[in-house]
Amino acid sequence: MLRTILSRNLFLAVTAGMTVLTLWMVFIWAPTETEQGNIYRSLFFHVPLAWVSMVSIVGVAVASLAYIRFKDIRLDRLAVAMAETGVVCGALMLLTGMMWARPVWETWWTGEAKLTTALIMFFIYVAYLMFRSYHPAGAQRQRIAAVIAVIGAVDSLIIYVAADLWQRAHPPIILGPAGGKDGAIASQFGLTLLVAVIAFTLLYAFVASERYRIRSAEDDVVELRRLADASEGERS
Amino acid sequence: MNMRSLVALTIAALISYAALPASPGLAQSASEVFDGVITGYTTAGTGELQSFTMVNAKGQMLEFKVQAGAQTTAYGLENQAGDRWVSDQSKDPVEAVRRLRDHQERFAPVTVTARDGVALSVVEKEGGRLETNLGYLFAIYTVTWLAFFGYVFILSRRQRDLQREIARLKAAPASQNKK
Repeated sequence: MLRTILSRNLFLAVTAGMTVLTLWMVFIWAPTETEQGNIYRSLFFHVPLAWVSMVSIVGVAVASLAYIRFKDIRLDRLAVAMAETGVVCGALMLLTGMMWARPVWETWWTGEAKLTTALIMFFIYVAYLMFRSYHPAGAQRQRIAAVIAVIGAVDSLIIYVAADLWQRAHPPIILGPAGGKDGAIASQFGLTLLVAVIAFTLLYAFVASERYRIRSAEDDVVELRRLADASEGERS
Repeated sequence: MNMRSLVALTIAALISYAALPASPGLAQSASEVFDGVITGYTTAGTGELQSFTMVNAKGQMLEFKVQAGAQTTAYGLENQAGDRWVSDQSKDPVEAVRRLRDHQERFAPVTVTARDGVALSVVEKEGGRLETNLGYLFAIYTVTWLAFFGYVFILSRRQRDLQREIARLKAAPASQNKK
């Protein structure tokens, strides 16, 4: 128990430290971009949020499929925790992207591929969570939820390559295996972005782990209520 | 999510906000940014751009060298029709002369990023948006942290309620009997 609390507090301390370091790098260390001015600093929030929401839906799909295979309730809890944290990050990704686009592109939204597929991913998250909430528990719910998550995972891969496949206004890929061809960025910007991605990934992991604990507690409450009801039935 | 977690994350956010009021001077960049109009240029015998001069809004004359190689001078200049030419000194040193001459003749303002008198980039002036888009940055920053902390707060409330419910159910005689 003590070990769990210590490791949790250490994780929280590292996350908080990385967040502060990110903010210092974003607002103090990184130079102002010549063409966009200070608004480009919002990309140090937008890109990491996009990253975690895309990785999260892949994680949801893997955990959902693994639950169907292994029937381990912890995998189901993990899928829900990642989905709920991912939908928050997805919503923030869309909002920060729109608020960046307004002064730079002079429009809140365009119908280009990267934006549209990102919006679809957000709706897939919402569909996954709504479906799980409204459909009665059972094997069918798990199967359909897993299918929704897999569609989301495929969509996240399309989002990743969308800017290169359908070249429009959105900047090209700068992160990951396909990044750095046309969109190579200066070292100070690149390093700041890398630190921001790590910090947001840690934040995401911390919040998702907290959501996981809540899910466990929710299951405990259901089990305790079931026991209480059964005991009540026996007595009457 | 316990109270200590919330406090730690809140302190992190507050510290970061302390950096925000200094936004106009925000970045201590190693390079400097200049706006102005091209007034002249020098070329090598091969017709390649070597340096150029420009005058800023205060009437000061500024001279910048351009360079090729690893730290090549980057260009992002538009013609009268608005088509943007993006290149650098290593690739198109002669075309750079033509583009700068075009800007000089049209009195089209440019933004130069320079370090130690050497231009790192020469781009179209961004219509003064460099200073005015801080409001959007502030909005993005605020929305991100408000939403994030709002979610964390909801989680902490939910966890507290669940812990109370678990304690209540465990204390109930039915659960105790079953155990």
